[in-house]
Amino acid sequence: MVKEPIDLWIERHEREPDVVAKEKAERFLKAVELGVPDRVPIAGVAGDFLCQYTGISWYDLSYNLEKIPPAVLKFVHDFPHDWGIIFAPMMLEGFVLALAFPDFPDFSNTIRFLTGPVHDILKDKWSQWPGRELREDVHPQFRGGEFMEPKEYKKLIENPVEFLHCVILPRACPGLGAPGSPQWNGAWVRVGMVMQRILSFQLQLFVEIGKRGYPAFPITNAYTSADVIGDFLRYPTGAMLDMRRYPDDFKAACEALVEPILKVATAIPPIPPLTFFFIPLHLNEMLPPKLYNEFYWPYLKKVIETLVEKGYKGFVFFEGDHLPHVETILELPKGWGVAWFERPRDFIKAWETLKGHTTVMGGVPPSLIVGGTPEKIDEYLKDLLSKVKPEGGFILSPGVNELPKGTPVANVRAYINAGLKHGAY
Amino acid sequence: MSSSLEVELERLLKSILDLNEEKALEITENLLTSNVDPLKILEVIKKAAEEIGGRFERGEYFVADLVMAGEILKGISEKVMPKLREVGRSRETVGKLLIGTVEGDIHDIGKNIVVTMAEAVGFEVVDLGVDVPPKKFVEAIKQHNPNIVGLSGLLTLAIDSMKKTVDAIRETGLREKVKIIIGGGRVDQYACEYVGADAWTNDAATGVRIMLKWVREKEGGG
Repeated sequence: MVKEPIDLWIERHEREPDVVAKEKAERFLKAVELGVPDRVPIAGVAGDFLCQYTGISWYDLSYNLEKIPPAVLKFVHDFPHDWGIIFAPMMLEGFVLALAFPDFPDFSNTIRFLTGPVHDILKDKWSQWPGRELREDVHPQFRGGEFMEPKEYKKLIENPVEFLHCVILPRACPGLGAPGSPQWNGAWVRVGMVMQRILSFQLQLFVEIGKRGYPAFPITNAYTSADVIGDFLRYPTGAMLDMRRYPDDFKAACEALVEPILKVATAIPPIPPLTFFFIPLHLNEMLPPKLYNEFYWPYLKKVIETLVEKGYKGFVFFEGDHLPHVETILELPKGWGVAWFERPRDFIKAWETLKGHTTVMGGVPPSLIVGGTPEKIDEYLKDLLSKVKPEGGFILSPGVNELPKGTPVANVRAYINAGLKHGAY
Repeated sequence: MSSSLEVELERLLKSILDLNEEKALEITENLLTSNVDPLKILEVIKKAAEEIGGRFERGEYFVADLVMAGEILKGISEKVMPKLREVGRSRETVGKLLIGTVEGDIHDIGKNIVVTMAEAVGFEVVDLGVDVPPKKFVEAIKQHNPNIVGLSGLLTLAIDSMKKTVDAIRETGLREKVKIIIGGGRVDQYACEYVGADAWTNDAATGVRIMLKWVREKEGGG
């Protein structure tokens, strides 16, 4: 059997993982600094495809820590990448929990994501988990919900942390009971114990992944004020309607949330050469420019600018089609970070707008990897890379890193192969 | 009188398209108080929904605009329908849509906008909710006999569930009886071919326009 580029790369991971890790780190840093590395960095994939390939269930990936390392280590071995995010154990949006504890830098960032075991304690209504509300073979899901009425904006504005802590958490998390009750106190002690267990598990797993040729950079977390409202308080549709029905309240709430968001983000100090702050955007693509520019962007921009000034680099996931708002990114300082685009209706246009100013990540429709053929994937990536490669500052990635069940293994290999073949400068 | 009625109906249409909720509801209220035929108002709603779809396709409207428009249309319908019943009239439906978020996915923002807009333009809608297994879609097709089946989903796993659903519909010999449209943030032409659907859409407004085109084609074809 003829060896493909991916096979040779896997062999190098086995033979000289330290060299490979060093190459990856240099390649990635160069791209983040808007430079031209030796090759376009290739971002990894995961999702249902990981479960199907390794045979681990979503339940085990969420709850059974001992079953996770063999699956994840096999996966990163067989589908090597330069940089990637694999949630192990599985995690979902939970930034509201961090915002309830912004003055506890020792753990505010750690509880930023919801995990299955924490969900079991809080019984939060924001998320649903396999083996609990969902079947064991189904992806855990964030559903959000409406936990605040429009008339309560005033309280949120007055003291956002107290409001989230004392009003929203009891409503959204029946497992906590009433603030100050034995149930409440006991639940938080349990959350702490569970987080400690997960944290030490993750540290061990990262060491193992690192030994296999994967560099790691520290990452902290931030959020957009309007998404706090949409994701955790008013449901996205409620937030969108509030912008029109209660514009002043909405803006004041966004302003009030900036400070606690920054507190959570800066709980992890910036360490050279690279500490990212991750922000996933949710309402962005749903808003017309008028609403985006008035209710969303000013507060997001403030968070990004403040953190960049402090020495962090941004890593922002622009969900959906962000093209209508893409020019606003140019208002940020050059080299502020990485913009990962899910599915801008014209990726090349986004790239042309931002190249030399922002590191751009994305370019590959997940549906191409799911439904295409290795030949089609190769052809598509060859064409894409001929257009976006020359200037540097580009990271190859699917629009989302989660690929569904049924994604052909040959297609995922074709994606990595094409990056290796056509991505060299 | 009739020309001033025309002017008022035109004002209603404009206020809907301007997404001016307060004004649209106020005009509706006034029209109903002055005993205007409720069906005339429903015609405005239908016209508005189509225009909203067009604006969305042209990139002039965004999801937040559809949500607001949907709220306005719903608000108007809620005022008009009791009046319609009061005068003993009913509304003609343009077709029947069976819709649900496919198995494994519990996201429903897009689906709910489709339901609101499809109802506004005159579809009878059967909403199966979220996390709907293929078998339930098949049973519901047998029970409700819809013209169109809408499969919604946000997660990438939804694409696989959509395929399973279409396969199940085909296996029970019902595929030729219905048009199938898939919708969600992550579906596209590749997904549509893989799933074996008749059409795909990333947004509710385009979806409703496609469905209206289908029912018209069917009418045109006899």
